[in-house]
Amino acid sequence: MAGTGRETVRAAIRQVRPIMSTDFWEARRRALGLYKAFYRYIPYIVKYFDIPKTENDCRWKIREYFYKNACVTDIRVIDLLVLKGYMELKEITHSWSQKGHIMAYWQPTVERKPCDFICKFLTGVD
Amino acid sequence: MSFFLKRTAGAAANLGRAVLNNSRPAMVQCVATKTDQAAPQVETRPTVAKVDPLQKAQLVDFGKYIAECLPKFVQKVQLTAGNELEVLIPPDAVLPVLSFLKDHHSAQFANLIDIAGMDVPSRPNRFELIYNLLSLRYNARIRVKTYTDELTPVDSACDIFKAANWYEREIWDMYGVFFANHPDLRRILTDYGFEGHPFRKDFPLSGYVEVRYDDEQKRVVVEPLELAQEFRRFELSAPWEQFPNFRGNPAAEEVTNPGDDKPKQ
Repeated sequence: MAGTGRETVRAAIRQVRPIMSTDFWEARRRALGLYKAFYRYIPYIVKYFDIPKTENDCRWKIREYFYKNACVTDIRVIDLLVLKGYMELKEITHSWSQKGHIMAYWQPTVERKPCDFICKFLTGVD
Repeated sequence: MSFFLKRTAGAAANLGRAVLNNSRPAMVQCVATKTDQAAPQVETRPTVAKVDPLQKAQLVDFGKYIAECLPKFVQKVQLTAGNELEVLIPPDAVLPVLSFLKDHHSAQFANLIDIAGMDVPSRPNRFELIYNLLSLRYNARIRVKTYTDELTPVDSACDIFKAANWYEREIWDMYGVFFANHPDLRRILTDYGFEGHPFRKDFPLSGYVEVRYDDEQKRVVVEPLELAQEFRRFELSAPWEQFPNFRGNPAAEEVTNPGDDKPKQ
């Protein structure tokens, strides 16, 4: 009985190969490291790219993007997101991405969808 | 595939010629295998590819040889389209199998032609990676197939084949398969800031965003796209039959399957 119980436990906990981190706190530390790296590069973004944004706007935008994934708990997903973030940072630091790519984070041309009744009525959407 | 010729040829002086001259009967020692005993009928239809029974027998033997050399890694060896050898391996075995095929004296698959990807969402390991190798020395090709899912990293083959660098970047960009220990893993085909992996089956044909030049902003803007397409259904079988002559033929014939031979634990 005990043997079968152990086997079922082993079957339930699937061994997976980690991407980088082995526990949650390590993954969290990596995410914070990425946040700091982005944060420290903000003055240079404002300096090198001709964007109509201040440093504070950039800080809020980075914060928003990190909070978008705040609910992710899978360590491997966190690792993958961090890696993608570092790739994106590299694109910015090497000036591979241009003004348009940076401004795409703000999307000023996108019109918000009307959500309440009056707005929907005025724009003619049901 | 003439690694077998080489083994039987013996004389080192004649080697080059034996390799070049594939069909010289005096040099060839025919070994009876299953494929020979099946008495292959001669293909006379001009539009159907002719299968060389000698080449096929050599491929079968080489496949068995690989499976014997790497019993821990090779899950299955199969022949597709009559003369294409495929080795199916688990994702941990990519490095040992590729280095074996590259460095073994009677394989010498020193060229990595391509790494292809495949996405089958219904499988537990949805991505398939296909390494196409070429041996210039023996004028032979081989295909190594492995599998992975969205989150399991695969070892990068960059240390073995320099060519793997960009191929793996392409796989990462198109499918999102992560390669561990890759020297420079980043996007290669998509635009900076592009989100998603376009070759995944759940990626919509129209994409998520559209890009246009905006006159007021004086730059290119990215805007989310209203999806006209609701759900992609994958009806892979066509309503008509493309190859009625090949109705009964299996796509791949098995050479060896060490995984099934073992007693179940």
